[in-house]
Amino acid sequence: MNRHIRKVAIIGSGVMGSRIACHFANIGCEVELLDIVPSELNGPEKKKEVSIDSDQFKNRIVNEALTSSLNSNPSPIYRKSFASRIRTGNLTDDLARIKDCDWIIEVVIERLDIKQQVFENIEKHRTPGTLITTNTSGIPINLMLEGRSNDFKKHFCGSHFFNPPRYLQLLEIIPSEETDSEVIDFLMDYGQRFLGKKTVFCKDTPAFIANRVGVYSIMSLFHAVEEMGLTVEEVDKLSGPILGRPKSATFRTCDVVGLDTLVHVANGLEDNCPDDEEKELFKLPDYISKMVENGWLGSKTNQGFYKKVKDENGKSEILTLDLNTLEYRKKARVKFPTLDMAKPIDDLKTRTKMLFMGMDKAGEFYRKLFGGLFAYVSNRLPEITDDLYKIDDALKAGFGWELGPFETWDILGLDQGLKMIDGENKKAAAWVSEMKETGIKSFYKTEKGVKYFYNVSCKAYIPIPGGEEIVSLEVLRSENKVWGNSDTTIVDIGDGILNLEFHTKMNTIGGGVIEGIQKALTLAETEYKGLVISNTGQNFSAGANVGMIFMMAIEQDYDELNFAIKTFQETMMRVRYSNIPVVVAPHNMALGGGCEISLHADKVVAHAELYMGLVEFGVGLIPGGGGTKEFAKRLSDEYVAGDIKINRMRERFLTIGQAKVSTSAYEAFDLGYLREGIDEIVVSREYQLTRAKESCLKMANKGYVAPKREKNITLMGQEGLGIVYVGANTMFSGNYMSEHDLLISEKLGFVLCGGDLSQNETVSEQYVLDLERKAFLELCQEKKTLERLESIVKKGKILRN
Amino acid sequence: MGRAYIVTGYRTAVGKAGKGGFRFYRPDDLAANVVKHIMSKVPQLDKERIDDVIVGNATPEAEQGLNIGRMISLMGLDTVKVPGMTVNRYCSSGLETIAIATAKIEAGMANCIIAGGVESMSVMAMGGWRIVPNPAVGKKNPNWYWGMGLTAEAVAKDFKVSREDQDAFALQSHEKAIAAIKSGRFEDDIVPIDVKHIFLDENEKRQEKIYTVDTDEGPRSSNLEGLSRLRPVFANGGSVTAGNSSQTSDGAAFCLVMSEDMVNELGLEPIARLASYSVVGVEPKIMGVGPIDAIPKAIAAAGLKQNDISLVELNEAFASQSLAVIRETGLNPDIINVNGGAIALGHPLGCTGAKLTVQIMNELKKRDEKYGVVTMCIGTGQGAAGVIEML
Repeated sequence: MNRHIRKVAIIGSGVMGSRIACHFANIGCEVELLDIVPSELNGPEKKKEVSIDSDQFKNRIVNEALTSSLNSNPSPIYRKSFASRIRTGNLTDDLARIKDCDWIIEVVIERLDIKQQVFENIEKHRTPGTLITTNTSGIPINLMLEGRSNDFKKHFCGSHFFNPPRYLQLLEIIPSEETDSEVIDFLMDYGQRFLGKKTVFCKDTPAFIANRVGVYSIMSLFHAVEEMGLTVEEVDKLSGPILGRPKSATFRTCDVVGLDTLVHVANGLEDNCPDDEEKELFKLPDYISKMVENGWLGSKTNQGFYKKVKDENGKSEILTLDLNTLEYRKKARVKFPTLDMAKPIDDLKTRTKMLFMGMDKAGEFYRKLFGGLFAYVSNRLPEITDDLYKIDDALKAGFGWELGPFETWDILGLDQGLKMIDGENKKAAAWVSEMKETGIKSFYKTEKGVKYFYNVSCKAYIPIPGGEEIVSLEVLRSENKVWGNSDTTIVDIGDGILNLEFHTKMNTIGGGVIEGIQKALTLAETEYKGLVISNTGQNFSAGANVGMIFMMAIEQDYDELNFAIKTFQETMMRVRYSNIPVVVAPHNMALGGGCEISLHADKVVAHAELYMGLVEFGVGLIPGGGGTKEFAKRLSDEYVAGDIKINRMRERFLTIGQAKVSTSAYEAFDLGYLREGIDEIVVSREYQLTRAKESCLKMANKGYVAPKREKNITLMGQEGLGIVYVGANTMFSGNYMSEHDLLISEKLGFVLCGGDLSQNETVSEQYVLDLERKAFLELCQEKKTLERLESIVKKGKILRN
Repeated sequence: MGRAYIVTGYRTAVGKAGKGGFRFYRPDDLAANVVKHIMSKVPQLDKERIDDVIVGNATPEAEQGLNIGRMISLMGLDTVKVPGMTVNRYCSSGLETIAIATAKIEAGMANCIIAGGVESMSVMAMGGWRIVPNPAVGKKNPNWYWGMGLTAEAVAKDFKVSREDQDAFALQSHEKAIAAIKSGRFEDDIVPIDVKHIFLDENEKRQEKIYTVDTDEGPRSSNLEGLSRLRPVFANGGSVTAGNSSQTSDGAAFCLVMSEDMVNELGLEPIARLASYSVVGVEPKIMGVGPIDAIPKAIAAAGLKQNDISLVELNEAFASQSLAVIRETGLNPDIINVNGGAIALGHPLGCTGAKLTVQIMNELKKRDEKYGVVTMCIGTGQGAAGVIEML
């Protein structure tokens, strides 16, 4: 049976419920969001004499929850207008709306009796065959079946989203003993393809996979901190980005999540896992109990492991909790020789090896922590899952780790990992030594574009399922590399399509990347069918290498700078006019030059999480790699007969002038960075390259003809220039921008209008590119631009001068 | 030559732009209705003896374009014989037209003119739909093109008008306006307008509804705390807010101006005359201070002294400029805007001059006073003032 999810009911509108509702709205579904009727009128309602029979009163809980979610930052919704896809209601009057829903998700309070009651009510209205899932994080799925019909049971399972559901990738799918396999298969695929999640199949064991291992990891760290005498800031430094984990690392994450939530899961594990060899670790150390007692739960109580205070000058400062004295004190600088040595290494795998070899307390910390973690995860097979890759997937997608435990173990080597386990007086599961005895030395291997994992029950490698459809650079990179330099790698991704990836710091664009783009275009034109530009970094690209521009500008090497900008422009134009289709597939940040590459693609296949913008204003410049030109061109393309051009020009002008960055790929359309009818959005990051490749191949197979270079940009000349000067002066006079901003604005407007032409003229791209480059170079000679560049290069901060 | 007299004058209630009762009501219809009402009040006047219809409008384009003055003549009088023209001096347009009518009649060029103004800020963007400043001027003298809010900030700064004073002034304007409406002070001014609203209900079924707009929509009960919480909208760190600025509005107002001979011939009893009208130029950057020079000029032209004046209608474009004008001219605050001003009642740009004329005539009459001044600041650095003499 083909299932189609058009309408979804979310029962329960708390933090999770309303945000899950938003994510379904994000992908285009119609959503019914329902919650209980409040018990009584509140103060303002009494004052306004609101009736208890009115929707205003009855839907207050759900409406307030949804509004609060929609206003939260980061936003749960791709585009504000998508919120209209959500209809709110209450469980007393509106439960019948679930009748024509295709999927009902229960997200009410974590109490079995309440959930059972909700299910009983749902059963009165649910159409047989409708998917029904629970978003529990701790209650066994099987306990929820009592009293339910067979049809209900067959279509019921756990669907565990992680908060915030738009941003965290993990979706755990947990069948009960009676769930139909069709339901599970559908949800595993749907979650991935439609919701853009990493779906992980779990067993119905306490806390499932991610929280079981993740909370173990945090709890073991809580104890290790005491034993090793480490401070809060030391631990966060050691367990943050340096290790490929989120910036909030350990303690800051606890503050965000809330210590009570964490303790709730830990207590649950302690109670429900009597056979867990590490169950002692789920007992709270004294300092944690004390913090809970004090109500120091983190952000929600304004203090936890950190506390934000204002000093006497009203300046905000973040204090740290001293775990020995339980008093807040100033943050101390963290210094470990191992960290100093590891920090310059960009490649996470190489860096990880370095960290674990450290002879100081940092190295000791890593060996201790991971010795325990390796043993723990090995012993969770087959208890929580049969397949080790699911543990890695769950931790990566649910906790934002770049490397899962088994992947980390592979990097260090099987023997080294076993040694660490021994060193901690722990024991790895028997299957690990069995594996070793058969001569297998790693948990994963990649061969001929297929990634395999060691399957414990077969005692052999088998392919990770679901990989057939997915084009993955991680998998293809080693065997299919065609060319590379220090900053880029070109990989043959099959069917005649090449992929160019950047791997500079923040994927910034300098000479090496430009060389890579040129090389990739030449290769694709001579030997292949098309080119995709995408990468696996944290961000697609943070823009041009500002450091390089700063150096040339400060040394007044203007000829060199002119040449560099010209080369950048020419490279972008080659992207546009090459003989093969070029598809750019950006994700997360695509700023400045990263945006400009996208602007010149035949097609952009964007990840829904796209933070795209021409942000050059912040460093005292205008887009110089064809970005301003492309805006002039798109502006001209947008004109219709009788149009008021000047108003359209203002919008384009402000997008660059205010350095607007999209908060999603949809907003990138709204801002004019992406083109309706040409560019596309893919919700699943995992499928993004696959779709990009398909698009590229389709264009090539259809018969790709490079666009002709034409004189087709209509510029306004003086007709537009007046409003530029007046608008910029108004912003300056109203103290909304500095005098330097005024100068940059005027230069931007001058390029967008094509200079001081007496009347509208239709020109070539080269004419605008030359104007753009001239303005860019002039700005590079301005002292205040140099100060802005210096600030971003040296301090990483935008200077407002 | 004989004198010119204002025989009668009416205005519509002032609607809130974009959300009020006139939000979709065309300005030509609005004005034509006032003209019809005037004609109904002077049955002895043969409409074909009217020499001209002169209409003030600050943004004569789109719905207000195509020489709206001529359109209003055709629509309001239902004859092709009476011509019509449109006059634009921004915010004094509605008074300017009465001055032109008076001058023409007193010069013997005409006997009878309908003069006033109309503005729908609902249908028009502020400044018009296509703003194309001269780039050379924009570069050299950008403040000639500044938005009015920014000039209000400049006045606040140059004349040291505090945020607190502006908010207090705004609050007073609302309080006076509410009291005036409550006591029916504007009933003699206003032509009730029936508005037909054609719309779709929730089932997208066509519906029609007719409602009457007969009360100014702008005044609201407010308080200082609420006003002080509003953020400045024109300048970062400034003091001019939506609360202490005039409201954008829709409205129309007209007067019937007639020669002495014709008044006598028709046996009419005129109520007032425009005794003088003066316009001055000031720095565009602080356009709000225009009345400071215009008021004494007009009073002198009428052969009067400041203390001869019993009432002043000072258009409250902004509280900052109103206060600067009051302080610099030394006018008695008690005689200024006794029924509230544009901050509460709204400022339908091209209509305002005529609307304030109608208001001051009725108020002078009620108080049995002789002289009043209608005055306003004007965009791009001008000020206007006219002395109304009751008969």
